[in-house]
Amino acid sequence: MPIEVSELCYSYKRGTPFEKKVLHEVSLRIEDGEFVGLIGPTQAGKTTLAQHFNALFVPQQGKVIVNNCDTIDKKANLISLRHEVGYVFQNPDYQLFAPTVGEDIAFGPNNQGLKSSEVKRRVSKAMDQVGLDYSSFCRRDIFALSGGQKRRVAIAGVLACKPRILVLDDITAGLDPRGREEILNVIRKLHSEENITIIFISNSMDEVAELAERIIVVDQGRIAFDDTTRQVFKKPSELKAIGLELPEIMSIAERLVLCGYNLPASVLNLEEALQAIAENLRQGQVSD
Amino acid sequence: MELTKNITLGVYLPGETAIHRLDPRTKIIAATILITLLLFIKSYEAYGVFLIFTAAIIIVAGIPFSYALCGLKPMLPVLILMWVFQLFLYSTAEAEVLFSWWLFTATDEGLHMGNLITLRVLFLFTVTTILTLTTSIVNLTDGLESLLKPLRKIGLPSQELVMTMVIALRFVLILAEELDKIVKAQMARGVAFDRGNFIQKTRKVFPVFLPLFINAFKRAEELIVAMEARSYSGGKGRTKMKTLHPGRIDLAAGGIMVLFAALMVYLIISAVPRV
Repeated sequence: MPIEVSELCYSYKRGTPFEKKVLHEVSLRIEDGEFVGLIGPTQAGKTTLAQHFNALFVPQQGKVIVNNCDTIDKKANLISLRHEVGYVFQNPDYQLFAPTVGEDIAFGPNNQGLKSSEVKRRVSKAMDQVGLDYSSFCRRDIFALSGGQKRRVAIAGVLACKPRILVLDDITAGLDPRGREEILNVIRKLHSEENITIIFISNSMDEVAELAERIIVVDQGRIAFDDTTRQVFKKPSELKAIGLELPEIMSIAERLVLCGYNLPASVLNLEEALQAIAENLRQGQVSD
Repeated sequence: MELTKNITLGVYLPGETAIHRLDPRTKIIAATILITLLLFIKSYEAYGVFLIFTAAIIIVAGIPFSYALCGLKPMLPVLILMWVFQLFLYSTAEAEVLFSWWLFTATDEGLHMGNLITLRVLFLFTVTTILTLTTSIVNLTDGLESLLKPLRKIGLPSQELVMTMVIALRFVLILAEELDKIVKAQMARGVAFDRGNFIQKTRKVFPVFLPLFINAFKRAEELIVAMEARSYSGGKGRTKMKTLHPGRIDLAAGGIMVLFAALMVYLIISAVPRV
């Protein structure tokens, strides 16, 4: 189920003195099974754009078509659309409300009107997907969880709806390194094993460079770049002008090139960097 | 979907108009006089004059009418309910019956009372909205504090009271923004807020209000820490960076208010039926 956005415009608080145009004629297409990184400076319109994908916003101008369903169509079944397109919010506190982990994850499937046996199956599968042990966590008090655990519960709550597209809105913000790594592994697995389309909004270039196959850069409500990850990071000066940093590994590579190393223009992860450096050393191009 | 769009209470609309430049105390006193007058108005003529006056203020303050009134939109169901209640329940011995239906009887007095009370609430809301739209939160605090200062002598902790009130006002918008996010997070999990019978609908309130309250308490705690970190210790001994200086414009505004109040008092008294 591809997402098609054409000439989408959106203004916040339209018709009030505080009106602010956040999206200017945005067009894009996301195919099944893609892993897309959505990046851009704060207030660029990433979240507003992404919330159009599951009809939390409906277009003021232009069109958003998800799975052949036009979100502006009055007859469209938005509830089932929202089950197909899962959306995980940055702050799990906005989503978690039930007393226990299990009950909260069951909220989505219950809204779908499923039988309780099916709901239970979905809950245990979702908990398994995010790496929470069913027997020990199901009855755990939600408000006694750590930040990383809360986020995993929030993701499980969305996964339990069995989405085919998953939008992750800056879900690693404010996590410690280990919690972050755990969450990223969960996402990686969802994409590779379940073939879920992932739209990953993040402020961390490192994460995006590591995970995404394609990157969409949004700046001031417009799409600045839309290309493969490698191609996008080949334009460091343009990215810096927008206010984005390069992934750390690339900045290090840049400096190594200045020291005489012969490295490719875009090194996206640690492994690539290591290989390239090893190659350099093997060929003896660099005298230490 | 934007829930905060129609919230005007507690919002400041920056501007440089005469109304914006007035001393906050002038505006607060004027609003208090207007609100007091509203409580006594019982005739449509007086409401007409009042309407012209408030409309004039809105124009001078440069607030778009559509924006000044959009804050009423969420209140509409309550207003209608209030009007219906008055229409059917208020009545006196000499009231004339307009029509009756099942157990309910609508009288002309009920209709009159319904209109009056609805108009009163409408105008109360509009007056306070104009005040907050044209006065920044800092000015509002300073103005109120300065007006309530004399009450310190009889032991009223005016500074603390004002601080509480201003924070409450500020939280209206903050909570609305949080509500927006929470509602969206639950809608993303497939809640249909408009479906189901009464009990089913009521149950859908929990997924929204539980996170809202929890977050509100958290926020309040953070605010306390932030205030204490900057050594806030109540009103005693606090000085101001900006002091208030009423000017000629306040004198003019005061004059206009006195004239208007006199006119309204005349209209109110003349509307009282002589026995």
